[in-house]
Amino acid sequence: MKNHTNGILDSYTLGNTHYDEVYTGSKQPRNHYTSMVERFNQLSLKDFERINNEVKTAFLNQGITFAVYAEDKKPDERIFPFDLFPRIIPNEEWIHLENGVIQRNRAINLFLHDIYHQKKILKDKVVPADLIFSSKNYLKEMVDFTPEAGIYTHISGTDLIKHTNGQYYILEDNLRCPSGVSYVLSNRVALKKSLFDLFDKLKTKAIYHYPEHLLEMLKSVKPKNVDNPTIVVVTPGMYNSAYFEHSFLAQKMGVQLVEGRDLFVEKDFVYMKTIYGPIKVDVIYRRVDDEFIDPLCFRKDSMLGVAGLMNAYRAGNVTLANAPGTGVADDKAVYHYVPDIIKYYLNETPILNNVETFHCEKESEGKYVLDNIDKLVVKPVDESGGYGITIGNRLTKAEIEEVKVRIKSNPRKYIAQPIMSLSVHATFIEESKEFEPRHIDLRTFCLMGKDSEYVLKGGLTRVALKKGNLIVNSSQGGGSKDTWVLD
Amino acid sequence: MLSRVANNLYWMGRYIERAEHFARYSKEIYFSSLDAPIMETYDRKFVLESMLYMTGIFDMDAENEKDVLFKIGLDTENPNSIISILNVARENARGARNAISTDLWEAINKYYHLVNNYSVETYISTGFYDLTQIILEQTSIVQGKISGTLLHDEEWAIILVGMHIERVIQVIKIINSKLHDIYKIELAGHPVTDMSFEWTTMLRCTESFDMNRKFYRSIPNREQVLEFIMLNPQCPRSIAHSVNGIQKYLLKLNSDDSIDARSITFKIGKLCAQYKYLTFEEYKDDIYGLLNSTQDLVMEISSELEKKYLSF
Repeated sequence: MKNHTNGILDSYTLGNTHYDEVYTGSKQPRNHYTSMVERFNQLSLKDFERINNEVKTAFLNQGITFAVYAEDKKPDERIFPFDLFPRIIPNEEWIHLENGVIQRNRAINLFLHDIYHQKKILKDKVVPADLIFSSKNYLKEMVDFTPEAGIYTHISGTDLIKHTNGQYYILEDNLRCPSGVSYVLSNRVALKKSLFDLFDKLKTKAIYHYPEHLLEMLKSVKPKNVDNPTIVVVTPGMYNSAYFEHSFLAQKMGVQLVEGRDLFVEKDFVYMKTIYGPIKVDVIYRRVDDEFIDPLCFRKDSMLGVAGLMNAYRAGNVTLANAPGTGVADDKAVYHYVPDIIKYYLNETPILNNVETFHCEKESEGKYVLDNIDKLVVKPVDESGGYGITIGNRLTKAEIEEVKVRIKSNPRKYIAQPIMSLSVHATFIEESKEFEPRHIDLRTFCLMGKDSEYVLKGGLTRVALKKGNLIVNSSQGGGSKDTWVLD
Repeated sequence: MLSRVANNLYWMGRYIERAEHFARYSKEIYFSSLDAPIMETYDRKFVLESMLYMTGIFDMDAENEKDVLFKIGLDTENPNSIISILNVARENARGARNAISTDLWEAINKYYHLVNNYSVETYISTGFYDLTQIILEQTSIVQGKISGTLLHDEEWAIILVGMHIERVIQVIKIINSKLHDIYKIELAGHPVTDMSFEWTTMLRCTESFDMNRKFYRSIPNREQVLEFIMLNPQCPRSIAHSVNGIQKYLLKLNSDDSIDARSITFKIGKLCAQYKYLTFEEYKDDIYGLLNSTQDLVMEISSELEKKYLSF
């Protein structure tokens, strides 16, 4: 390759032990990447850096930022790093993923209905009852209540990785308030503006209509007896790190963005306070966690919620998306049982692989984990954002002992998995001014409404910008890429 | 429209307008003074004091020019500095992000980043004109986006109510501030004929110099200037025009043209009528009295508006 151009990808060194998304082992671009690699190689480093800077300024001006707070200082406003080289998924590969994601979320939805009603799966001992009832995310307020159209997980984010063997694996399910979709849409817009001729070379599937699908889905689960529902998005407020996304989605759907303090409940109906008096609210896409949504039911000190909301919900006068209590199913200890859950409710073979998971609370598995911490990733079952995760081969002896103590003190709280090798993708690194392999994953976004299922084509490709890092979360130094599903 | 969002939009309008007046006043006063014909106006301390007075800073001696420029422009510790006002305007826009257009939000956000990324060192050495000019231009862009990219509904109207209320208050402050300067100069014994320079500056501070020239076709004097920027409804910076604006946009929020003397619409209607039928002759001996009563009434309307529509 080196002899015909001075392309900016020429100096790229393969990530030898991981699956490289762009290149084969002999550094030939994979078929679906050939024209993309060619195009990037026509850019000079100078042009590339200019475009890269323009995109950064555009993100800043659009306010696609998150704030990093430090004491005594003005909050530092940072953009979520965006890498211009898109990740490409061939169509047949995507169809497999899409089917797998729908299958999984369909089963999870049936599972949620079951564990809040007859609990058949627990009685049949497919999933241990203790595991469910010991979860702090199992809400007694949801028992024997059926949400509109039986939908619990209206919006779910399923995280996937590609292992060394080129196979996709489910990393985790996000069934509460998965975020990131605004970045997917903003990344596409940014790439279209900056490298528009890429779109001549390859044809990617459109994604712009996600907010339309979201709106239609929310309308489909309106309470009975409401013709033209008033829909709102509830945000914790503009200091929340995902505020950009909350306002983005509300604006793109053309619905009101509200905070808890803009709402009140009277006689089991929810109203928002407008300049001309109260207006009834019918469907709430809430981006506030369960424990904060209603201070009368959950955390008493919550300033973000609406007193009486759960009563209005249980009276069937308002729909909450997602339903409260879905967190019990994205618990990392329940993750292990999802293939069984799929077989149990759908009588189908799971389309997507699960990563082998060890439960520290099971005696035999717990012992294996304690003996092999250096070979395992240990995760708390109920944290998000990549917090509390330890990766065995990065730990010192002392750190391993610390992890052991933590597990022993509360085995229910931890699961362990083999260290999965996330695939790598060529990513521009500003410090070295070169493309280098970086680990990536994929968050898909699935919508479930009354008689409708939809998966956004592609999703959010997150990239761990720190060399060798496996954690892709934005709060831990991750960036993202535009994701193309080929047409 | 949510009351909270209305509150955000109202204050966004007020702060955008306020930042612009502070920038324009400071710029005009400062640059006109550099070759001023009268000793007092030429004096640095005199000019800096006038800038501090207008921007509401009363706890600072106008000794060090760079300190004063910093305090007025880019001092984030000073809640009345242009940068602080702009930052609050932007936070209000952010709080109402989904009520405004993407175009408007990006214009405000870009304006915010331009000012926040402006080097303090450049600003106090050579960038004072440049930065104030950026502020004036960005304000025009924001105003253009308000008029051209928003649905002309209640949300749009509340922004414009805020801008017009702020404009009345700031124009009154500018007139007060310049009258105060002129009074000091007169005390020093300068003849009235030397004053056209000061009246010109007052016009420039309210962006009305060209309009005034076109209207009167003569050298500015006390009567023409005060009549123009107070009573002339055709001048978009005049008090008369601004109170008409408050009325026009308030009626979009509340179409009930009430005869109840306690209602906001009644009060603003009465104020508009007063300005419509007033002549300079009638109030020339009590300019401050008129300015004060107008300001009080507009403040009263503002607080009632907040009570009625904006509390949540």
